Formats: sequence, C-alpha cells, structure tokens
Amino acid sequence: MRYSDCNKTLRENVMKSYELASASQEKLNAVVTFADVEKQIEETIQDETLPLYGKPVAVKDNISTKGIRTTASSRILDNYVPVFDAAVVEKLKAAGATIICKTSMDELGMGGTNLNAYTGKVNNPYDLSRISGGSSGGSAALVAAGVVPMALGTDTGDSIRKPASYCGVVGFKPTYGRISRYGVIPYASSLDHVGFFTTCVEDACVTLKCLAGRDDRDMTSSYEPVGEYDKNLNSDLNGKKIAVLDNVLSSIKDERIVNEFHQLMKKLEDRGAVIVHVTMDENLLQTLLPVYLIIANAEACANHSNLDGVRFGMREEGNDLEEIMINSRTKGFSSAVRKRFVLGSYSLFTENQEKLFRKAQKVRRVIVDSYTSILKDCDCIVAPAAATVAPHENDSVDEKMSDTYLVAENHMILGNMAGTPSLTLPYTFIDGLPVGVNVSAKAFDEQTVLNVAKAIEEETQLEGKCAEV
Amino acid sequence: MEEFNKDMLRKLAHNVMFDLNDQELEELALDFKDYLKQLDLLNKIDTEGVEEMVYPFETPTTFLRNDEESHVLSASEALANAPKTSQGYIVVPKVVK
Repeated sequence: MRYSDCNKTLRENVMKSYELASASQEKLNAVVTFADVEKQIEETIQDETLPLYGKPVAVKDNISTKGIRTTASSRILDNYVPVFDAAVVEKLKAAGATIICKTSMDELGMGGTNLNAYTGKVNNPYDLSRISGGSSGGSAALVAAGVVPMALGTDTGDSIRKPASYCGVVGFKPTYGRISRYGVIPYASSLDHVGFFTTCVEDACVTLKCLAGRDDRDMTSSYEPVGEYDKNLNSDLNGKKIAVLDNVLSSIKDERIVNEFHQLMKKLEDRGAVIVHVTMDENLLQTLLPVYLIIANAEACANHSNLDGVRFGMREEGNDLEEIMINSRTKGFSSAVRKRFVLGSYSLFTENQEKLFRKAQKVRRVIVDSYTSILKDCDCIVAPAAATVAPHENDSVDEKMSDTYLVAENHMILGNMAGTPSLTLPYTFIDGLPVGVNVSAKAFDEQTVLNVAKAIEEETQLEGKCAEV
Repeated sequence: MEEFNKDMLRKLAHNVMFDLNDQELEELALDFKDYLKQLDLLNKIDTEGVEEMVYPFETPTTFLRNDEESHVLSASEALANAPKTSQGYIVVPKVVK
C-alpha cells in the first residue's frame, strides 16, 4: 500500500487499515496493541492539505504514544501507558497521520529475529513459517502485508534494514540525529536511530520530510536543515560513483543472491553509474559484531536501570525496596535480556572498562574511520542487505557472540556505528521470498541514498509491492 | 582468564538487580566464554593513540535556554503509571528499619 492508495476519506482509509490489521493478526502476530481507532480518528487534525492526512500508520512499541499502551514487547512494561507522545509521534500527528496500532519487536530492541518478543514470533507475510526479522519485525510485516503504507521503527544494529530485506519493503534509517529520539524507549544511546518502513521510495521521501529536524529535548538531534527530499528526488545516476563492498559479497554462500546483485549493478552501470569495488580490512570487519555487542549491552544495562517496577511498570511484591526491584526485574525481563545485562554490566566494571568497553569504543573509531574514508571517494556504498532470504525460526541466527561470524549478516551495523544514512529496498525474489539491497551514503546526505534507491526501484519495478496474507 | 562460576555470575546478576536460575547461569557461563574470546579479535586492532568514540558525531549542541516552562507533566500524570500511590507519593515498603 502506498500513500497514494489511501485515496478515500480519512475514516474509510483508517478503518480499512484497522480491519486489515485485525484480520491479519492471527496470521502475522505483528500487533501488540490496537489503538482505540475511533478516538484516534477524532483526534486527527482535520486538514486535508497536511502531507499525511488520511494516512493510517503503525508505530513500533518502543515509541511512546500518549494514552496507548507502550510495552517495548517486554513484560516489565506490560501495563505502561505513556502520558506523553514521543517527538516523532507528535510530528506524525502534526502531519495529519492517524495511528492504528503498536507493533511487535524484540524485547527492548534487543535482537534481530523478533523471536524475543513478549507476544511471540512475528510471521513473515511471504511465508508464515519464516521470521520477519527484527527488532522492528511487526512494523515491517504490516507494511509488507499492505496493512498500512508506513510504520515507524528503530534501528540500533540494522533493526529496520534487516527486517526490510526479509519482508521485501523499503526500510530507512536516516543519519544519527536526523530524527529526534525523545520519547523512544532506548536500547543503546550511541547507536539508536528512529526510522520507518514504506513500500516505495517516494513515500520514504515524504515521511522523512515530516519526521526530520532538530528537537531540543534530544541533545543528539541535529541542527542540519531538513531537505525537500520528495521535490529533489532524482534517479539520474549519470556519473554517480557507487562502491560495492566486496567483503559482503564474498561471504554470501547463496550464489543466486550474488548473481542477482551483479545483474542489478550492471543495470545501474547502464544508467551511467560508475561501479567501483572496495574492500575493508577483514580483521576489522570481524570485530563489528563484538564491538557492537560490548557497547550496546553496556549502554542498555545503564539505560534500563530505571525499569524496576517502582515508579512504573509491572511490580512484583517484596519485603523491601530491593526485593521489589529484584523480583520485578527477574520476572519482568526475559532470560535473554537479563543475560545481556550481565554481560553489559561486566564490561562497565572499573577493572574491565579499559580492556573491554573503552577498547570497543576505540575499535569503533578505527572501523568508522575506515568506512568513512571509503565514503569520501564515492557517492554511496551498496551491498546485499542479508546473506539469505528470511530464515525459519530454528535456522535464524540472532545477535550473539560465537566463533563463526558472517560479514554479510552484520555489515549494516556500520551505519549505526558511523551514524550514516542507510536504506534497504527489495531487489529480487529467491524462491518467492524477497531479498534487499542496502544503500548508504555520507552523513546527512539522505538525498543521495533516496536518489540511488529510486533508480534501483525503477529497475526492479517493485514499487508498492505487497504480499497477499 | 577469569573463571565464571555460578556464584560469581549470580553476584553479577544481583549487582544489576535480578536473579538468574541454574539453567540461565549455565548458559551465561558459555556466553562469557565466547564474550572473552572476542577480546582476541579486538586486540588484533591497533588502537594506540586512538580516542574512544562515544557518539557518531562530535557536533556541539546547545543546552542553555530561557527559564520558561515547556512540556510539563502534572503530578497526576507523573504518578499515573506508579503501581501504588498515596497523597501524591509513590508507595514502597518501609525503607528505614
């Protein structure tokens, strides 16, 4: 569903999406909470000239929505109803959009499969037995199933761009600071981004323009001016230098994914693009996942110390304050999240900080310097967004430490470490399942990402593509 | 290399205010083994003279503003999600014994 498909009255558009969401719930399990749709319609600004007027949207469940339960797919927040809107929700409403539901995610954003959600697995619209990917899996699945034209997500280590690949939609994480994170339940503050899913690049342009901009309540939000992304959308690739990250291609075992990618590059070359092949030091890329996990777990442990059942959230009884907190946190967090918190806390101990946390922060700078030096010499970097189509539950590899490491599964973390804008869109189907290509550019050069993505979309003809559920 | 026995891991969990059961402790011991192995990968990277990267950008931001109220929550809103409240306060068991 594209924005342009929402061409009836506000009520008709919203009710249609709401009914589709309800009907698909049994199959997809993508929704955590359905909004009081009558109330949302009533509160929508009645101004047909607004860019998102009459557009039903879904919001990831770690984004605060005033009066709508916001759980971050964690038991500890199962009863939490925000008393304020996140900045990004304020912007959606100011643009005329109507929220219909909150979408499932890996608990507190910690995961890449959406299997770590309190409400269970989200099913892939193209094959219900497969995963949606995560952590923004519910949002990706609803957009892919044609339920809503746009859904908000967050991305700490490819949590928008990987599910976009598995579900065959556009998933965009703009530059760090481009969209305010005020009111978003954090995972790892130095890596967290807000972004969104759409079914076409044009809708991504419109959405970004509505959501971007400085917000004094988020100290990391940027003063960089917001572009006219839709008006300036230009798919002319003549002379554009596109770098292919060869490390990713060489670590993909499915030749069909690689061959289709090469064919796509040939088409971009035929449009006048200059395709160059680049590599990064393999040893450095091997550190991507561990550096990410050390930093993310440590920041998450600190960020979530306020989830204790005292001021808000699910409280478990105890004889004293400490017992209340321990009981609430033990029952409130899944086993996977508690283990991550222990790992995170360990690397923050004074005696471990230098060899673990600070070392990881230093290696992060080396990685980012290497990555941005490639970006300096080209307009954008492209690579397949995933090594495989969406896996089955038992075959999925979540973000975890192991001896084996696949560059192709984790390279999009580069965009979180460097804060650079990064977008995934579908480029082919293998055995009936979508595969995405990722486009990344220099910080705040969202326009180039969108322009190159538009050219790819024109070649693939997958604009607006949705799955029948 | 440090030994991660159950007692030590349980203590680490208590430090961040929760418990882990025996099975979780066993799984965590294995996770720690992998975690520390990753150090070898990190140590292969020369970071001599490299500054820690704390945020993606080091752009200055402005914190100072006029002392005017904005985005204020009322007391009832601030307490709306507290499990137990009384007379404008959050209720917990007696802290001073």
